[in-house]
Amino acid sequence: MKKLEYIYEDGSHKWAAVARDPEKPGFLIDTNEYLVLNGGEALLADPGGMEIFSAVFSAISAEVDPYTIRHLFASHQDPDVISSLALWLDFNPELKCYLSWLWSSFIPHFGGTAETFVAIPDEGMTIPLGNLALEAIPAHYLHSSGNFNLYDRKAKILFSGDVGAALLPSGEDGLFVENFDRHISHAQGFHRRWMGSNAAKLNWCERVSRLDIDMLCPQHGAIYRGEDVKRFIDWFAALDVGSGIKE
Amino acid sequence: MEEISDNTASQASDLCRVVKANEDIKKVIRISSGVNLVALNAMLTAKRSGERSRGFAVVSSELRVFSRKLEGAMTGLGALIFELVRDAAAMRKQHHERRHLLNIQARGQQMRELMEPVLARMDERMHKTGGEIGRDWHRLHIQLNRVLQLCETGGSLSRSAKIEAVYGGDMTATLKQVANQIEETVNEIFSTLKLLRTQLAE
Repeated sequence: MKKLEYIYEDGSHKWAAVARDPEKPGFLIDTNEYLVLNGGEALLADPGGMEIFSAVFSAISAEVDPYTIRHLFASHQDPDVISSLALWLDFNPELKCYLSWLWSSFIPHFGGTAETFVAIPDEGMTIPLGNLALEAIPAHYLHSSGNFNLYDRKAKILFSGDVGAALLPSGEDGLFVENFDRHISHAQGFHRRWMGSNAAKLNWCERVSRLDIDMLCPQHGAIYRGEDVKRFIDWFAALDVGSGIKE
Repeated sequence: MEEISDNTASQASDLCRVVKANEDIKKVIRISSGVNLVALNAMLTAKRSGERSRGFAVVSSELRVFSRKLEGAMTGLGALIFELVRDAAAMRKQHHERRHLLNIQARGQQMRELMEPVLARMDERMHKTGGEIGRDWHRLHIQLNRVLQLCETGGSLSRSAKIEAVYGGDMTATLKQVANQIEETVNEIFSTLKLLRTQLAE
């Protein structure tokens, strides 16, 4: 079953990861959901697919009152990111969902009304949470054409969505990257095929390398910490992506 | 079909009720973890008081046994509520899917015929989940009653501690203070659990 684990704590300011579900059927991609808490309210980043709603909801409820979740953040439009939206709204119809303006009329196919969505412009925006100002950082075309990361300047954490994702084999179930070289071999195929633009990739690497980041948290696979964050950005900058096009 | 529909609709709304119960149980778990510290404090105070508080020392020792049992019982209660939250969330999902199927079914005779076997399978799944939820609630009630019985033991121990504190000589005031602390903690757990039992019975 999925479990909530705190990865950052400073008083009421916390980040928690809901990661790895050994009970999940093998045909579903494994996902990480991240809960950011500050000042008595919470934001759930990439709430996950409809099929795993009960696992995510129960893991969160074991530690946190789910009514404190006021905001959802969808990095992009994929079903493993946000197809559980209708179920979250069934539970709390007041929830607000932040997502790229590009998907404003697509995501409502999963649920919600006009009042549910806050469209993020291409250049990004600030998302208030308690006493925090989270930042939606553009990551367009990596892999989705309307794609955002979420940066917490105070905690120095970047939720990077599919960037940094790894498709880990069973047994490799640690929350954090422990051996970068071994780990990155599970990320290479994913990044080469899912990421479509070398220009977008270099633009992202250049902007993100200027941020102060202690943890880079992807939606799939393990979290990069400390020096591994820089290692990952350098590795990604050098990687040739868009492997789906055969010349 | 209508009976199934009414039943599943109420089970789908179980989620909010379960979330509320879960928050109360988490609160009790937090208080319970403090009982062990209170018991330890009582034992140390009794030790400092020496021979005059032998009775208090015996009660403190029993209180530590109680705190361990309470911790185990609360862990059991926490595990049960976790299962209940998971099953209630799964029911919510199935209820949501069923609503879509009913919308399709309402679009005429042809759709009704097409949807009939699909809805039958869905209802079977929901019955199964509903059965799980019913069993979860039943187990939760049983465990809650066990914890309440256990708390009555805790209540008796706190009363005994107050009596034994009187024989503490010049340490009486300190022992009384510890005994009051025990009583307050046990009462807080007891009243929260009793309120929870009343809420669950509504």
